[in-house]
Amino acid sequence: MEMAVFWVLAVPALAGGVLVFRCGSMARATFALLSSLICVGGEVVLLGLPYLGVVIILMMVMEMVVMAVFMIAYMMNPAGLTPMSMVHNKRGSAVISVAVFVALAAGIFLVPWPRRAGSPPPDTTFQVGVSLMGGQMLTMITLGFVLLATMVGATVLATRRGRYDRFGDDLDRRPAHDPAGGGVGR
Amino acid sequence: MVDAAPWWAVVTAPVLLAAFALCAIGYDAVLAAREAARPIRMTTPARPLLEVPRLLVSQPRRLPAPDALLWRTGVITVPVAAVLSTAVIPFGHVVVADLPVGVVWFNAMEVLTWAGLWMAGWGPNAVFSLVGGYRYVAQGLAYELPLMFALMTPAIRAQSLRVGDIAAAQSQVWFAVWMPVAFVVYLAGVLAFSFLGPFSYPVGQDIAGGLLGEASGVDRLLLSAGRWLLLAAGSAMAVPLFLGGGAGPVLPAWTWSAIKTLAVLALLVWVRRRLPVIRADRYVELAWVVLIPLTVLQALVPALVVLGGGR
Amino acid sequence: MDLTAVLLKAVAARPRVLVTTLPGATPVRLAAERHLRSRDLPRAVTPADADVLLVAGTHDPGLEAALERLWQDMPAPRFRAHAASAGDVAAAIETACSHLADPSEQRAHERGGRSLPGEDQGGHDAPDHASPEGRAGDHSGQGGGGMAMPAGLPMAAQGPDRDGLMLDQLHVALGPLLADWPEGLILRLTLQGDVIQRAELSLPAPRRPPSAVPFWTEPWARAAAGEQVHAAEAARRRAAGHLDSMGRFLAVAGWQAAATTARRLRDELLGGAGAASVRPAAERFARQVGRSRTLSWLTRGLGRLSSADAVAAGIRGPAARADGDVPARYRLWLTAALEDLDRLEDRRLLDPAREEPPRGRLGGPPSPSTGLAGALPRLLEGAELGAARLIVASLDPDPDEWVAQPVESAHG
Repeated sequence: MEMAVFWVLAVPALAGGVLVFRCGSMARATFALLSSLICVGGEVVLLGLPYLGVVIILMMVMEMVVMAVFMIAYMMNPAGLTPMSMVHNKRGSAVISVAVFVALAAGIFLVPWPRRAGSPPPDTTFQVGVSLMGGQMLTMITLGFVLLATMVGATVLATRRGRYDRFGDDLDRRPAHDPAGGGVGR
Repeated sequence: MVDAAPWWAVVTAPVLLAAFALCAIGYDAVLAAREAARPIRMTTPARPLLEVPRLLVSQPRRLPAPDALLWRTGVITVPVAAVLSTAVIPFGHVVVADLPVGVVWFNAMEVLTWAGLWMAGWGPNAVFSLVGGYRYVAQGLAYELPLMFALMTPAIRAQSLRVGDIAAAQSQVWFAVWMPVAFVVYLAGVLAFSFLGPFSYPVGQDIAGGLLGEASGVDRLLLSAGRWLLLAAGSAMAVPLFLGGGAGPVLPAWTWSAIKTLAVLALLVWVRRRLPVIRADRYVELAWVVLIPLTVLQALVPALVVLGGGR
Repeated sequence: MDLTAVLLKAVAARPRVLVTTLPGATPVRLAAERHLRSRDLPRAVTPADADVLLVAGTHDPGLEAALERLWQDMPAPRFRAHAASAGDVAAAIETACSHLADPSEQRAHERGGRSLPGEDQGGHDAPDHASPEGRAGDHSGQGGGGMAMPAGLPMAAQGPDRDGLMLDQLHVALGPLLADWPEGLILRLTLQGDVIQRAELSLPAPRRPPSAVPFWTEPWARAAAGEQVHAAEAARRRAAGHLDSMGRFLAVAGWQAAATTARRLRDELLGGAGAASVRPAAERFARQVGRSRTLSWLTRGLGRLSSADAVAAGIRGPAARADGDVPARYRLWLTAALEDLDRLEDRRLLDPAREEPPRGRLGGPPSPSTGLAGALPRLLEGAELGAARLIVASLDPDPDEWVAQPVESAHG
């Protein structure tokens, strides 16, 4: 049974990955990738990590939709109405991807996997939490803040308008001068 | 507390979901008739159902250079996601799949509509349809994070992501009573992911129907049905999360689940007619600047209670 | 009886009606809206959702192509009904329902309607022919010349945008026929992302021979022509006119319930209801909408138009007095409508020089609605697409005034 589910998910996951490079349309490529990642999420559930599996599905749907928005905003011919290729530097990318695939697949067979000792707990979510957060709480919190600061910083650097554009030279103009007003009226 | 799924639950859950959606549509029709000063007859709640045969017989739409594959996939995703999300919602003492990560499952299925609706907007190759799809994503970025915190809050108190455990943790007092912010944000999120009422921005009249503007026939039927199914699923989920699940005096558990679900549905349908469409550009700022801090503070309350040994 | 016949009977029991009003046919539109509301026949917003195309008004050569395109875009089963006058509406709907239920006729439609509506007209016809849904195929005057154009669609050209980037430009035409839109008005928008970079306006030309006097200014026109008209009649018409504008604005703002209330009150007023019966409901409505913090939160800051700019643009009515953004304008409509309700018993004679019609004093060309439309491009440029319809609806020019003969005011 588990084997059947594994293959039912594995084949579309690979097929979706291949389709990403076969589709001319940005939208289709994005959702091919999404279907592949959803299957991967299913595989993780099959491994006995339902929390991580479902979270992969949840986050990937959101990420791929946001990615689709940007792909279509910034790519030429996003609908793939005229023929185009998703691949640049064909030979190099083929070599790299085959090498990575072989290395990973070899790892599966060469690594001396430990034998299971005891039985898995009924709810693995708690164990995932403890092993991620237990010893590494400080790392995780720092990482979180670094990521957030990076995102905010990148946005601030990318935008042309600063607070002097919004609030005037003496920073006393209220409400701010914005091309489109926000919802809180700052 | 919650029993394992009998085989018939798999069939009953979608039927029950559809029945709740029909109740909501009927109540909505009665409210509409009252506003229009039409006499309210026995047939009034049933009249919107004439849409079903109307859309079944209607010709499907064909436009220049559509992306039919994504269009159809998107259209089907919406009602399917609604039905899948009910798998973890206990009704009385019965649940289809009592997943240990039920809350996350519900959240993931609701987020699937992002992909579905964006594809449904992209498919027809029409301006306003695509604008509608983008609007849903913009709205999603606004409502999703507060909704996630709102879903998290009861789970923190119950110390479990299993929906049955969360319902059982409310034996003394409903979470809606001492997590009011999370409850209200959750209800707003339900209206938002079913893009109804104040959150029907993606299908706004100002963009000629947006997502629904180019949909006819079965496409339109599936999208419209998906909206009401999502509303029903969200209302049903509010019961175990915030309203004590099937617990209640005298009556059996399943009746209490039904009564509470219908009450939440009625509230949401009433609210839907009370407010204009909220524009996402205004709502995003409100959501990120006001609602996220509020819901984080709300999530802090049960976290402190749990840390303080309130269990 | 086969299955299709049964389904078609269900369609005929509650068809969706796309009401298309030709300029000059306001009374027909009002009758149609009243009829559809009382019979619980929902209005369609786009042709994709419509079963009946109800053309209200007399033949208009300028809109013939746009009407034809709407009809082409409607999926079968469908029927095209025509109501030349307000009295024809009920019969036209009745006929439409009986035709919708006829399987043999609808099968013929289905066969006839199979061609791609965009392709048989070349796929990129002039925006005058634009259907309300503004297809992506409606690009015009863009790059891509010489390149193979997939499905006959040209590729977008680029231009500098507000934030100093080079972005694709999308050309979208709003109008001439849209739900809750001043019919005949065309706004050709150049969009970059959500932002309107350019808006070009075109209005329908006055008809030869001129059509009837605009419905909303009719009492003033009669008074100017020397007829004895009571001020009460003018006040009633003006209040109804403001409620009609409110209804359209609220429908565009997506507040269907309030829009229905506004239209119901309007119809009660036009039906001759007394002040005592309308007033309580009207006050409740004005309170609910005027004090709605949500509605003002959503519309504040949009379409700011100062009194001086408005007067310079030739606007004379409430839009000039409001001196502000969208909420200022709809709140002024509400207070003006309530004030007029106090005057429904006013037996004095109407002095057209002192009292103004809903959209401002008539004073030869250009009509007040021409002024309102003229202010649109400047208000829309730099606004976002989501604001465009709200701004247009908050000014609510009356298409009847564009096609009618300009009325000479008593004071010239």
